[in-house]
Amino acid sequence: MRTDASVHAVPIPEGLLEPALTVGKVTPGSLDDQVLAFPETKPPKQWYLALAVTLSALAVGVACIGYTFTTGIGAWGNSSPVFWAFDIINFVFWVGIGHAGTLISAILFLFRKRWRNAIARFAEAMTIFAVMCAVIFPLIHVGRPWLAYWLFPYPNERALWTNFRSPLLWDVFAVNTYFSVSLMFWYLGLIPDIASMRDRTTSKLRKTIYTILALGWRGAASHWQHYEKAYLLLAGLATGLVLSVHSVVSFDFATSVVPGWHMTIFPPYFVAGAIFAGFSMVVIVLVVVRETMQLKNLITMRHLDVMNKVILSMSCIMAYSYMMEGFTAWYSMNEYLHHGFMNIITGTYGWAGWVTISCNIFIPQLLWFKKCRSSYFWMILVAIGVTIGMWFERFVIIVISLHQDYLPSAWRIYKPTMIDFGILLGTFGLFFTLVLIFARVLPVIATTEVKAILPDAQPSHGGSHE
Amino acid sequence: MSKKSYAVLGLFETPDALMHAIPKLRAAKLGLVEAYTPYPIHGIDDALGLRRSPLGGMVLVMGVLGALTAFGFQYWISAIDYPIITGGKSAASWEAFVPIMFEVTVLFATFTAGLGMLLLLNRLPFFGHPILSSKAMKGITRDRYALALEAESEAFDSAAAAQALEAAGAVDIEVLPAPDRSPFLTSDYILRTLGGIFVACLVAGLGIYSLIKWFPLLAPMKYMQDQPRLNAQKASTFFKDGHGMQPPVPGTVARGYLPTATGTQEASATLVNPLPRTKDVFAQGRKVYTNRCEVCHGALANGAGSLTAAYGAKPANLQAQQFRDYPDGKIYWAVVNGKNAMPAHAAYLTEYQRWAVVHYVRALQRAQNATDEDLKVVAP
Repeated sequence: MRTDASVHAVPIPEGLLEPALTVGKVTPGSLDDQVLAFPETKPPKQWYLALAVTLSALAVGVACIGYTFTTGIGAWGNSSPVFWAFDIINFVFWVGIGHAGTLISAILFLFRKRWRNAIARFAEAMTIFAVMCAVIFPLIHVGRPWLAYWLFPYPNERALWTNFRSPLLWDVFAVNTYFSVSLMFWYLGLIPDIASMRDRTTSKLRKTIYTILALGWRGAASHWQHYEKAYLLLAGLATGLVLSVHSVVSFDFATSVVPGWHMTIFPPYFVAGAIFAGFSMVVIVLVVVRETMQLKNLITMRHLDVMNKVILSMSCIMAYSYMMEGFTAWYSMNEYLHHGFMNIITGTYGWAGWVTISCNIFIPQLLWFKKCRSSYFWMILVAIGVTIGMWFERFVIIVISLHQDYLPSAWRIYKPTMIDFGILLGTFGLFFTLVLIFARVLPVIATTEVKAILPDAQPSHGGSHE
Repeated sequence: MSKKSYAVLGLFETPDALMHAIPKLRAAKLGLVEAYTPYPIHGIDDALGLRRSPLGGMVLVMGVLGALTAFGFQYWISAIDYPIITGGKSAASWEAFVPIMFEVTVLFATFTAGLGMLLLLNRLPFFGHPILSSKAMKGITRDRYALALEAESEAFDSAAAAQALEAAGAVDIEVLPAPDRSPFLTSDYILRTLGGIFVACLVAGLGIYSLIKWFPLLAPMKYMQDQPRLNAQKASTFFKDGHGMQPPVPGTVARGYLPTATGTQEASATLVNPLPRTKDVFAQGRKVYTNRCEVCHGALANGAGSLTAAYGAKPANLQAQQFRDYPDGKIYWAVVNGKNAMPAHAAYLTEYQRWAVVHYVRALQRAQNATDEDLKVVAP
């Protein structure tokens, strides 16, 4: 970029310069016209069609949850010894999907990866929606979800307190904190953009809504100063948080004594898996957004290329983790661990183990090739593969470990019911419904953040701050 | 230009022009210089002479407070108020508190950073600022950069300010009225606030009450006390006779009521009293004898009970030689099955009570026919 070059006396060779963050000429004004116009225009037919599909899926989920409530948890396939199945698989799956958003918005922000500005908003929104999908599962699994507030430590007439040594309680705190922080982060980022929408809209109703949501933001330099500081602090806090949340989720398993769960590798392994699955979901959604909303000049092929590289590196970390799992089982000389690991590759659910390994390790290796990283077909194939693979990874960890543990007389094959699948489908419906609504109601790209990194956006003599 | 003008706003088209104008305007000392931009401009805080944001310190303090709060809360609950040993660890071992300490630290710090920035430092939400209703605002949140000279005192000269802005390169000048800071602490306002708080508390209280008391009892929500079950004394369609409570099937034997000694009295002669001669057994036997036997056989077992006169039959005098020669089994048989006019007592005496009363009858017989040797046993 020009500002980078101007700092150095010797001009930097073309090949070493950071490539442009946008394609073609983008000015702050054109950016607003392009991005902030979506909420003001009527959605196309395809949008309604997509919404109808996702709402139908959501309706299936609502019906299945309603059936569960009236019938009881027995409507699911959970049975001794697999008391945790789809509910916790889906919980871990969705919380994991959310991690990409925080990673992009917080960790890449701290690393000053400026390309993240264009995709951060969508990824953050996906975080919030994914966590909303995730929390459904523990809530309905408690059996009486209207008493779910019992999860919190509050003084009560039963004179009971929660057990602070239980990782399940840590989970309650971690997920609630994660949701609150993500929401705060997202909303803070939205405020200047909503102010832009407030000042450009002509509809009175929208003006009122945006006025309230923008809190009277006026872009004063003294405000920006605190705002930037707050954003930086939140990024730092969210970075620690995103690493902790999936670690705490993994504690649910790692602190127990079930063979296949009781491993120190679990926290980093879970965090890497979460980022892996989350980035794949972001790639899927961004490709669709980029194509259908004509945002090719802002969400560039470079974004997708970089994200695919992240997916590839996470895939390698996953490969290492899987191998370490096998190594631990072998090196421990513990027959239960041996049996658990052999179950993954040869047992009744061996097919699930191989789906996991193929989708998470083998297929993403395609991304070593630049051709695959720049082709929709291949990157979507990998991303869908990873989404499936990561879901099955949780299936493998949870169901395979539980269905055969120490006591052979208690072994049993787990079979999910249609209700289980219906609820899973319903959360996909909820997630994509929220994504679709978000895409038409709020700015899908953080215009303020992108404006700040456009060429000529910063004064030429103030570039030393970068 | 109006006397009440509060600020003069000049628009610039590029951030460079804005940055060049700032030192000039600050040097002119016509008023407070403030910039309004669509996104943060690097270096503008130094150019405007803004003080560093104190947010970092605030967040640090609140984060530490969050950690301490979480630790204190968990320690008090786990080690003092409700100590439960989990995993063999001491109730006060603090290592398990770390994850929640971390989460609460982040929570406190985040809310301090977000809300502290908005509410405390930036004084938002505030909808009365004149710039929000200015013509320039549309550009400011889009692609224009504005500098404002804001009145610091009564002596603010808006005409001079406008000139200075124009000289510094502003393309568009706008004069703004004073911000609409409606008086805050009027009695009317306080009353309305108190009323609002009252109504809010009322609504919140009723809401929480119904949420806890009424909402959980709605249709799909089930509690254990509502499960389908048979209540004693209630009608039921489950059984043919329509009763919820059913008699036990014929031949049912309750625990402790074994139907032993079913044969003849002679056949029972060989039964041996299984109970030891202990104080408890004699106490139990005495209780049974007093409740069940004494009324006919008399307190001394001599057949002179209080019912004798009114009762047609003559109860046995258990002190008679015939009964003193009985083996335990034959007395037991009589207790269980009854004899002559005496009814069977098996239905309401457990096996233990039956044998205990046999011991007691033996004691009564011995007490009435004591020998000198018996006295020796009692004496020490």
